[in-house]
Amino acid sequence: MSAGEAAVIMFGVFAALVLLKVPVSFALGLACLPILFIDERLTPFLLINEMWKSYNAFILLAVPFFLLAANLMNAAGITERLINLARASVGHLPGGLGHINVMVSMLFAGISGSSTADAAGIGSLLIPAMKKQGYDTSFSVAITACSSVMGVIIPPSIIMIVWGGLMSVSIGGLFLAGMVPGILIALFMMGTVLVYAKTLNYPIYKRASLMEFFQAFGKSILALVTPTIIVGGIIGGLFTPTEASVVAVLYSAFLGGLIYRAIGPKQFPRVLYDSARLSAISLFCIGTASAFGWLLAYYRVPQSLVDMVAAYGTGIITTGFIIALSFLVIGMFIDAIPAIIILGTILLPLAEKAGMHPIHFAIIGVISLAFGLVTPPYGLCLLISCSVGEIAVSKVLKDVAILLVPLLLLLGLTIVFPEIVLFLPRWLAPEFL
Amino acid sequence: MKSLIDGYYRVLKVTLTCLMGLMIVPVFMQVISRFTDLLPRYIWTEEVARFCFVWIIMIGSMIAVRDGTHFDVDLLPKPKRFRNRGILKLVRHFSMFALAIVFLVYGIDFAKFGMAQSSEMSGINMLSIYITFPLAGLTWILFLLEKLALDFKQIRSNREPELEA
Repeated sequence: MSAGEAAVIMFGVFAALVLLKVPVSFALGLACLPILFIDERLTPFLLINEMWKSYNAFILLAVPFFLLAANLMNAAGITERLINLARASVGHLPGGLGHINVMVSMLFAGISGSSTADAAGIGSLLIPAMKKQGYDTSFSVAITACSSVMGVIIPPSIIMIVWGGLMSVSIGGLFLAGMVPGILIALFMMGTVLVYAKTLNYPIYKRASLMEFFQAFGKSILALVTPTIIVGGIIGGLFTPTEASVVAVLYSAFLGGLIYRAIGPKQFPRVLYDSARLSAISLFCIGTASAFGWLLAYYRVPQSLVDMVAAYGTGIITTGFIIALSFLVIGMFIDAIPAIIILGTILLPLAEKAGMHPIHFAIIGVISLAFGLVTPPYGLCLLISCSVGEIAVSKVLKDVAILLVPLLLLLGLTIVFPEIVLFLPRWLAPEFL
Repeated sequence: MKSLIDGYYRVLKVTLTCLMGLMIVPVFMQVISRFTDLLPRYIWTEEVARFCFVWIIMIGSMIAVRDGTHFDVDLLPKPKRFRNRGILKLVRHFSMFALAIVFLVYGIDFAKFGMAQSSEMSGINMLSIYITFPLAGLTWILFLLEKLALDFKQIRSNREPELEA
């Protein structure tokens, strides 16, 4: 069987099943079966074997732990404290709650590695507040969803951990590389909020006094040191990402249980269960996606793709746009983690051929996949925010599209100017490069 | 029958919660032993955590089949008639059923293969981990049979079944 035939069968079966609403994880597994049965050298035993190999990776344990830490932070009421801090810092700008929404997402992103926890936690507090103050529901929902994508771009980030683990890129390096683009996204979004507020006359808070700012800061200081512990610990080589994720769990349980006294013995199992189930669902998909990716590699599909594209002769910038476009499209339909496994491994030789730095490649991938969190039909953060705001997805799309324009601009800038991504790791930790 | 399946589903949920809590322990022990002398540096901590993790993933996949929370994508418009909706669901559940059979059949081979091995660090028999794959297959089959029965009912009556599991 040629690479082309194998690719057509696998992607064809996968697309047909997804169209029929078969869960993505099952569709990926089922798409491997025809070839595993037809090819005499292969057997479906390999499907299970490849899945087991992908799960037996210590690095992936960071996924459920970071999600658990984020959910504990939400349950501990840390989000409310961060909102107060954001209100005292940017609440007086036109469109106050919009800015607060963006800033809290940025702060929360530095504490957690999950955008979905960000959208759920911040949305449930800020969307009702924004509605009450006369903001359009669609804008409130859209800004919550769009700003939550910073969760995976600003370190710590579950997606970066998976990327680093799978492609052997330094996770500390990825974390440092994500900081500048993440902060730029926040600034770009606040700019967009300002334009919205001026055009639609959104309300303004009065400026908080310096005293109020320090009070709010004091109340959230214990939460704000989390990124120093986690990100600093990983970059400084104190813990592995998995160990750092457990430290984050224990620290947030300590804050929520003992200091803020918001999580009791009744809530704790609930949070454990919710985090375990949600991460199990996306991790299960890693297994079938790995088998799918392995089978593609077995038939040398990635290599033939590189040969095909190489015929046109590509530099870093063109390759960067091809990579971004591929991730943007696949991110619309499937979760970020299986997308990395399938597409990341296909595109890696392409990036290498163009001479792109592995960290640059990773950040382009991560930012493009972050769009997938808010683009239909499968954008988890959008779905969560819409359900919190009690509004149909279709009614929010216009505002989401407007808010994504500055993000697209940033993605373009990162592709054209790799230094946006690379200068911080080069400056602080050249050994990661 | 339904109450039996409900009971099994609840057992899975409780097990999942306990495993998640349990998984924190060995990784934390690893951190403690690195920075203090309170604990010796056990070599089995990482392995035990990884094995908990595999169980969490597979049990989570079973639970998500029952409550229908595996991620899917809405691309086609929902059919108007309940009968057609039922047919669509039947196709979907039947496809999943096919994978479940493969997991059961080849998972048993996989588990047999594990019976002959012990893990590198802690010497656990690998059957205790590999068994999750055929077990997942079997559990999906059970949960999917329940769903398929409901789908047939819906197609025959052209009405939304009262109990949407």
